Amino acid sequence: MNLFGMLELSGGAMSAERQRAEVVTSNMANAETTRTPAGGPYRRQLVIFSARRTPEFPMMLAGLRNASARGVRVDQVVSDPAPPLQRYQPGHPDADAKGYVAYPAVNPVEEMTDLLGAVRSYELNAAAVQAAKNMIQQSLDILR
Amino acid sequence: MADPISSVRIGNPGGEVVKSAAGKEWGFLETLRGAMDQVTELQGTADAKATAVLNGSGMDVHSAMIAVEKADLSFQMMMHVRNKIVQAYQEISRMQF
Amino acid sequence: MSMIDTPMTAVLGHFLDLSAYRESLISSNLANIDTPGYRARDINFRQELDRADSGEMQYASFSPLATQVRGLIERPDGNNVSLERETLLLAETQMKFNIGVQVLRSEFHRLSSAIHEGSTS
Repeated sequence: MNLFGMLELSGGAMSAERQRAEVVTSNMANAETTRTPAGGPYRRQLVIFSARRTPEFPMMLAGLRNASARGVRVDQVVSDPAPPLQRYQPGHPDADAKGYVAYPAVNPVEEMTDLLGAVRSYELNAAAVQAAKNMIQQSLDILR
Repeated sequence: MADPISSVRIGNPGGEVVKSAAGKEWGFLETLRGAMDQVTELQGTADAKATAVLNGSGMDVHSAMIAVEKADLSFQMMMHVRNKIVQAYQEISRMQF
Repeated sequence: MSMIDTPMTAVLGHFLDLSAYRESLISSNLANIDTPGYRARDINFRQELDRADSGEMQYASFSPLATQVRGLIERPDGNNVSLERETLLLAETQMKFNIGVQVLRSEFHRLSSAIHEGSTS
């Protein structure tokens, strides 16, 4: 894959990590949300990443490039199937008959770690963007 | 004034000086033609690669830059050969005087 | 064709091609550092360069072999991309590419001088 394609690839990865960060932030913001329009407490969200085949350039089709560069994308945003946390709070408006309130299965420590991971990966891919940009500029320098 | 190149090609009888000069001429002309062919070929490659970079078909920038530089160098070489030929004819003209 | 196509320009051309290609693999690895099950890939740079320079195959078809990297630690989700390794290689490959460009430039300057050598006018 050529260097311009790499800009797009790394840029796409930054976008995916940003989406991941957004989902994590949403989880953290809604850690205490006991009621939602859909009914029930907020459900923790997860992103699922998958490797993405990059678009075939005509040159690759001609066999002039081994088309093995892989980008990444957010395949889906899914809800965590884990059951909500039950806390005994009989006075709470959203308490059920037995006095339990259902809270989102969100662990703040876990979410924070995830967020830091997303930030770090975002920065890594930003570095890759810089690398591609640098090499393109160097290429132009071949002509003095 | 007669074009020196065509007069040599036709084999213009003119004596020893012109004949030996004719031998030398052919060497230069072959080189020049070869250089021109090379320029055409390399320029074509450079144009194709540069276009491929610009229309996003996956050509490496450095590959196109190398092709452009080679085309440019071959052009310079052709000009150099041409200049040498012109110089040689100017010498010959002075000789026949 | 003989004067312009020196062995140096050919070798440097291959070097830059392979460096750029390696960079794309590193970028792919970094892009997929969080993708479950993703395995880091690389090329054997030395081997591919030797193969290209030997001229044993028509290198007009550029097809280096991307292989799986060995000796990496696998995380629970099956991903084995190493942050340290990729970051280091990213910087290194960039630098090598730049060096290749500089050497190529000096080679072209040399050729240019050779062409104009002996120009009296």
